Amino acid sequence: MSRKPLRIGAWLPPAIALAVFVLLWQLYADHHPYVAPKLSKVLSELDSHPRLFARNAWTTLEEALVGAGAGMGVAFALALVMFYVRVIERALLPLAVVLNVTPLVAIAPALVVAFGFGMTPKYVIASLLVFFPFLVNALAGLRDVDPEALDLVATLHASRAEVLWRLRLPSSLPYLFAAGRICMPLSLVGAVVAEFVAAGEAKGLGTLVVTAASLGDLGTVYAAVVVLAVLGVAMFGAVVALQRLVLGRYRPSVGARRG
Amino acid sequence: MTPTDDAIVFRGLHKTFGRGNERVKVLDGVDLSVQRGQFVTVIGPSGCGKTTLLRLAAGLVEPDAGSVSLFGASVADATAEKRIGFVPQAPALLPWRTVLDNVLLPLQVNRKVPSSKAAPDAVELLTALGLGDALQRRPRELSGGMQQRVAIARAFVFDPPVLLMDEPFAAVDELTRESLRHSLLTIWQASGKTVLFVTHSVTEAVALSDVVVVMSANTHGIQRVIPIDLPRPRDDLVETTPEFLALERELRLELRKGSK
Ligand SMILES: Nc1ncnc2c1ncn2[C@@H]1O[C@H](COP(=O)(O)OP(=O)(O)OP(=O)(O)O)[C@@H](O)[C@H]1O
Ligand SMILES: [Mg+2]
Repeated sequence: MSRKPLRIGAWLPPAIALAVFVLLWQLYADHHPYVAPKLSKVLSELDSHPRLFARNAWTTLEEALVGAGAGMGVAFALALVMFYVRVIERALLPLAVVLNVTPLVAIAPALVVAFGFGMTPKYVIASLLVFFPFLVNALAGLRDVDPEALDLVATLHASRAEVLWRLRLPSSLPYLFAAGRICMPLSLVGAVVAEFVAAGEAKGLGTLVVTAASLGDLGTVYAAVVVLAVLGVAMFGAVVALQRLVLGRYRPSVGARRG
Repeated sequence: MTPTDDAIVFRGLHKTFGRGNERVKVLDGVDLSVQRGQFVTVIGPSGCGKTTLLRLAAGLVEPDAGSVSLFGASVADATAEKRIGFVPQAPALLPWRTVLDNVLLPLQVNRKVPSSKAAPDAVELLTALGLGDALQRRPRELSGGMQQRVAIARAFVFDPPVLLMDEPFAAVDELTRESLRHSLLTIWQASGKTVLFVTHSVTEAVALSDVVVVMSANTHGIQRVIPIDLPRPRDDLVETTPEFLALERELRLELRKGSK
């Protein structure tokens, strides 16, 4: 089974769109250098300080990954508890919904007060942002099991643990991956916002953006944004690659719900 | 006849679904005994409670009154001992497992029950059902008829003494049905299992059964029990004999009575 080569119809439209975007940007930047720096300037920033961007990218990536891992892990554990203990679901789901509609980044300053300028507030914000979408999808995944397959294992007197392991977890994997594709970029948002608020640590792309902006150095700001975009794409791509590896081609894809 | 000759016994079964205005009376006093080793088919109009009867025997539905016993024990004991092979109407295969792994599933759950000495080998079973080349394929790569064969293999693989099958061939074309029914007859004949089989097909009922149970939607119970005294083993030729056609006719007339 070979993958279809990317046909011209697939890559040409986005390529043209990108070219048009670059052109418009350049035209605009010529007349408004303090709104949009020239792309050549952005690229030369990247080119002349690769170490700076790499180091800060690494910090932000670590914050996002640790935060996402913790948030998704806790969300999944809670989804299991909520699934098996209905009372807990009824008690906690409304709270989680409120949490979800609250712009959680607003508590970032409070977290800095609580935890200082270290990594902790960044982890916490990133994990808070991924928590709800992952929880909702994990719950949906644990529920979405073929009822006839459940009947079948019930006639075999399968234990709860066996049903979880043999049916519910495999059935929930497409949901978990779909949630992962949403959560990875979200965790990056969380890390960057936390850095905006707690820039004292002097590390991370968010910190770099704030510092450079205060100096009017738009080239560095946009260079950092480009690096963030690359990180986001890489994290998303990693989830997709892992999904391909784990689920192969035999699973119908399931659309994730956004929290 | 001693009581132990009865594999499945339904006694005074009543079942109503829903509450208030939504109440649906499905079974109103059903008594039925299925003897050990018999192939018994349940037929009747849609909604008369065939699936409910089967699900009661499988422990998936609780009766409002009355009892079901399997080999003198409760349904709960029978499932705990893995004595029931259940074939649902949809094959209910796990899409992430290969054909072979799907068949092995019953051996992987509830392992407290020791596996039967006489249990057939999964690969041999699948080969006998014409799936020898498909062991490593995924369910979605199979036709509907092949998926049903996998579901049948899965019910036989742990050698349960009772098979409960709910219209397993309903979703496939007539020719495939015929071939499935002969595959089933072949592996069943050698196994000595007791089968309770639900169908809508008159031909299927006569071709497979020792006894056909006709259920009625009007009385919510059993309308008539027709013994099928055709010789075994049966091949496809039996379906053209005058005796077979006469039984089909009798059954058809009986069904017509019950659906008024
Ligand atoms: N879990 C349930 N809750 C409510 N009503 C139910 C339930 N299960 C079955 N019923 C109702 O009970 C009646 C009998 O259903 P059942 O599935 O046993 O019929 P059936 O003879 O198998 O029909 P068919 O031939 O269409 O499969 C139907 O009216 C159905 O709507
Ligand atoms: Mg039915």
